[in-house]
Amino acid sequence: MKHKLLPLSETMHYILLALREPRHGYAVMQEIEKMSNGDVILAAGTLYGAIENLNKHGWIEPVGSSGRRRIYHITDEGREVLKTEQQRLQHILSLYEGSE
Amino acid sequence: MKRFKVFLDVEKEEQWLNEQLEKGYRCTNISGLGIYTFEKTEKKYVMRLDYQADLSKRRLEEYKGIYEDFGWSYVKGFALNGIRYWQKEDDGQNEIFSDRESTVHYYRRLMKYSLWLGMLFLAYSFMIYNDSRLYHEGLWNMEGSLFWKALVFETPFALIKLLPAIMVVAFSLSFYKSYQKYVVLKGQ
Repeated sequence: MKHKLLPLSETMHYILLALREPRHGYAVMQEIEKMSNGDVILAAGTLYGAIENLNKHGWIEPVGSSGRRRIYHITDEGREVLKTEQQRLQHILSLYEGSE
Repeated sequence: MKRFKVFLDVEKEEQWLNEQLEKGYRCTNISGLGIYTFEKTEKKYVMRLDYQADLSKRRLEEYKGIYEDFGWSYVKGFALNGIRYWQKEDDGQNEIFSDRESTVHYYRRLMKYSLWLGMLFLAYSFMIYNDSRLYHEGLWNMEGSLFWKALVFETPFALIKLLPAIMVVAFSLSFYKSYQKYVVLKGQ
């Protein structure tokens, strides 16, 4: 059976992408705002819950702290998930192209 | 300004708090006994209530840290019932949840909250109603005005005895309310 977080929600997807570099929570939100051209602005509770969830599933992990903020980084398992999602999305994109 | 108020419904409480803030106040303290303290302010504030039970010390710290980075300040939180009170200056980004997924989870947590308190009062109700009646037994043998006087006298006590059962009904209703929102959001 498919993992319960798959296919990734937009929020989870962006967080995993942002955490290919180690970042703390607020920096993740800022990076996502930039990556999405201001389209996706995460709220505090959503970000907190998503980080907890991704951490619980072992797709990201804490790698240190800056002051009292914890810094997270994507794990190998998380990278695998991104690769699978990339293939899934590429397939869907190819269907778009085929019909035109 | 201090206000005394008791809420059994987290969403109603949030709504009431924001109505007070709209009158030009900000909340400075909330006591577990239902006393809300406000102070006058020129600025506009908003409050949001979250429900997070069972936060370890480390997780509570991280939870607070992330919210504070977003400009929220922690007015109060009760470890016992899990309600967390957040307040910030109104800057147009006043929500604590930005996607459907996390809002669904929020309603699921609220369901847990009502369920847990409802069960607690249900268990308590069983304990106290098992071996006592609402009215004194002799009451039903009285006649005429004596009966009515006794009934009026005993009714307040009967209502107090009924309180746990009323709580069960109230928490069941708020459970059902959260459940409905949960189902609608989840089904989308």
